[in-house]
Amino acid sequence: MLKELYLIPVAIYIFSYIPFLFKEKKVYKVFLSLIYTGFAVQTSIFFIFLSVKGLTMPVHIDRFVFFNAWILMFIVVLFGIFYKADYILLYITPLVALNLLVGFFVPHVHIKPDMLNTDRTILLTHIILILIGDSLFALAFIVSLIYIFQERKIKNKKNLKILDTNSGRGYNLELLDNINYQCLKIGFPFITLGIVMGLYLSGSLFRTFIVVKPIEIMSLITWLIYAVLLHERVAKGLRGKRAAIFSVAGFLLILFSLSFSFYLFPSFHGFE
Amino acid sequence: MDILIIGLNHKSAEIGEREAVSKKLLTVELRQEFTDRLLGLKDENGRSFVKEAVVLTTCNRSEFIMNLSSWAHGKGGHIIKNYIAKYFFGDAAEENIFYMYLNEDAARHLFSVASSLDSMIIGEPQILGQLKEAYNEACKFKKSGRFLNKLFHKAFNCAKTVRTETRIAASPVSVSYAAVELSKKIFNSLDEKKVLLLGAGEMGKLTVKHFIKNGVRNIYIANRTKENADKFVEESFAASEREYLNVIDFSEYYKLLPQSDIVLCSTGSEGYVLKYADILPVIKIRKQKPLFLIDISMPRNIDPEINKIPNVYLFDIDDIGKMIEGNIEIRKQEADAAKEFVETAVKDFMSWKESLNVVPVIISLRKKVKDILEIELSGYINDKKEKDLVINSLTNKILHEPTMLIKKASANPEGSNSIETLKALFNLDSEDPTGGDKRGEDENACKYIKLIK
Repeated sequence: MLKELYLIPVAIYIFSYIPFLFKEKKVYKVFLSLIYTGFAVQTSIFFIFLSVKGLTMPVHIDRFVFFNAWILMFIVVLFGIFYKADYILLYITPLVALNLLVGFFVPHVHIKPDMLNTDRTILLTHIILILIGDSLFALAFIVSLIYIFQERKIKNKKNLKILDTNSGRGYNLELLDNINYQCLKIGFPFITLGIVMGLYLSGSLFRTFIVVKPIEIMSLITWLIYAVLLHERVAKGLRGKRAAIFSVAGFLLILFSLSFSFYLFPSFHGFE
Repeated sequence: MDILIIGLNHKSAEIGEREAVSKKLLTVELRQEFTDRLLGLKDENGRSFVKEAVVLTTCNRSEFIMNLSSWAHGKGGHIIKNYIAKYFFGDAAEENIFYMYLNEDAARHLFSVASSLDSMIIGEPQILGQLKEAYNEACKFKKSGRFLNKLFHKAFNCAKTVRTETRIAASPVSVSYAAVELSKKIFNSLDEKKVLLLGAGEMGKLTVKHFIKNGVRNIYIANRTKENADKFVEESFAASEREYLNVIDFSEYYKLLPQSDIVLCSTGSEGYVLKYADILPVIKIRKQKPLFLIDISMPRNIDPEINKIPNVYLFDIDDIGKMIEGNIEIRKQEADAAKEFVETAVKDFMSWKESLNVVPVIISLRKKVKDILEIELSGYINDKKEKDLVINSLTNKILHEPTMLIKKASANPEGSNSIETLKALFNLDSEDPTGGDKRGEDENACKYIKLIK
């Protein structure tokens, strides 16, 4: 029954784009207020779930999707406030709304792992860490896309008349690149820890650490892409468009492996 | 009360003619002397034409904004225009270079000027400041009264509305401003950035000034002749700006390139000063940190191929010119929207002005009724307080509808006949509500302007 609650923030997020139909000057402020309201509602729902069930396994799969949407929004709101770049909300909110809708439509089934209590806690931590890391990479992905478009506009000197103080405010390349870097720096340890825990769980379930499951190969490729990107950034100062392309590629791989493992071929992840 | 504006600007007069006028209005003393002359203008019966006057003078326009005496009814306009032409050019024949606006047209003109719709560059912000200064000066020397105070406040409000409700001033329309705005699209903050200026030209000076205004604190200037660069810094920048400027030897500029984030090139060189092969190693040393190059020289001094290097952004004078062109077009479109705000402000002001004409009639009518009631009731009510209360209450009740009708008539151009009839019927004698020739009494208005300044 509680799943219906997901639709409240979805409705608010969709409604928040309606003011853009009117060419009023205060549209952006109205949009932001609505988005923050939606996030407050989403946070309240999150705490309702926590108070009802607590942080224990088994958990319904839709709760994880909801948590994914919430943590993504939470990260974007934090980055938006810290870097004074709340315009990212404009691009990330549709992703969050989509996530919530997926959460609403996904079958209300439990993840009931047949394992020890300690392993269950590790599984929960594995999922949470991966979702936090993925959310940070999702932000890096969106920011990288903005970077690529904005950079192209500046390089080609096209549509320059819209490069004025109002419409282009905040979309500066340096800031976008910096946000991308921070997401990578913070997200990488989360993903690494998450993958390590996943490997451990795989070992515990299948009695060996390396069972060649497709998810493990995909995860390692993704992890390698981000590891190379981080190394290149720290050691060789890779930045700008190339770093943005790396981030986009990395996140597309994440999307690919996640959709494969959850929705298309559950056996891909080792689920039976 | 009639508003009269006489002036000349870049559309009506040549630069030489504008110069001749502004030279005679260069200092506060000269402006005040001229204002006194305007206020002292009298007809054959010794009556002053002008009650209040404000003199506005900028590089593109000189205008005299006046409130005429009620008796003049705008008739004095041509006499004043003639006098102004004689004063500045010694010949009344020059009066055709001056434009003249009366009442509604004058209010519309002033509001358009304040909103920067009449400027050479539409939307430029300086004119509002200059108008405020002119008004402030008039307040200080008590040359402005209640009527012009209201007019100017309305003009400032209108300008503010235009600025906030339209995007008339949003897009840059000067090369130097555009260069700074473009760099804000690349860098997050300009405070920590290093700017290198190659050459010492006028455009370079303006751009550097803009960069300083926007927080840049490390600026290096390299010129082929170091003495010229020193002289350029000394003559072109204020002491407060000079502390951020460092003149370096031209041979050293290459060493500074890897540390520079923004390079402005405006040398008189005929070939490329910065070539593709020069920048390629620089961007590697910079670890791919973005480098913004602005070539404002003609012929170009930076190889256009450089723009192909990743993380290097090159804009030449043509690119910036195209960007400005687009922005000028935006401003023109916004000006059409802004005119609607001006029209609303003009309508508001004119209805306030019209309502002023009936205020003395209403006051006289109330006084008449009160006097009659006072006489009639004095035999019946002894307590003064009680009597005043009854008189006020009865006056309000009797005159409520006539007052509304009078106000309504004032908004109607044919309403003056009804008001004249009313005055004749009741034998009313109305006074000038703006306080006659009392100028500079509205201290609060001037204080308000000081605050918003």
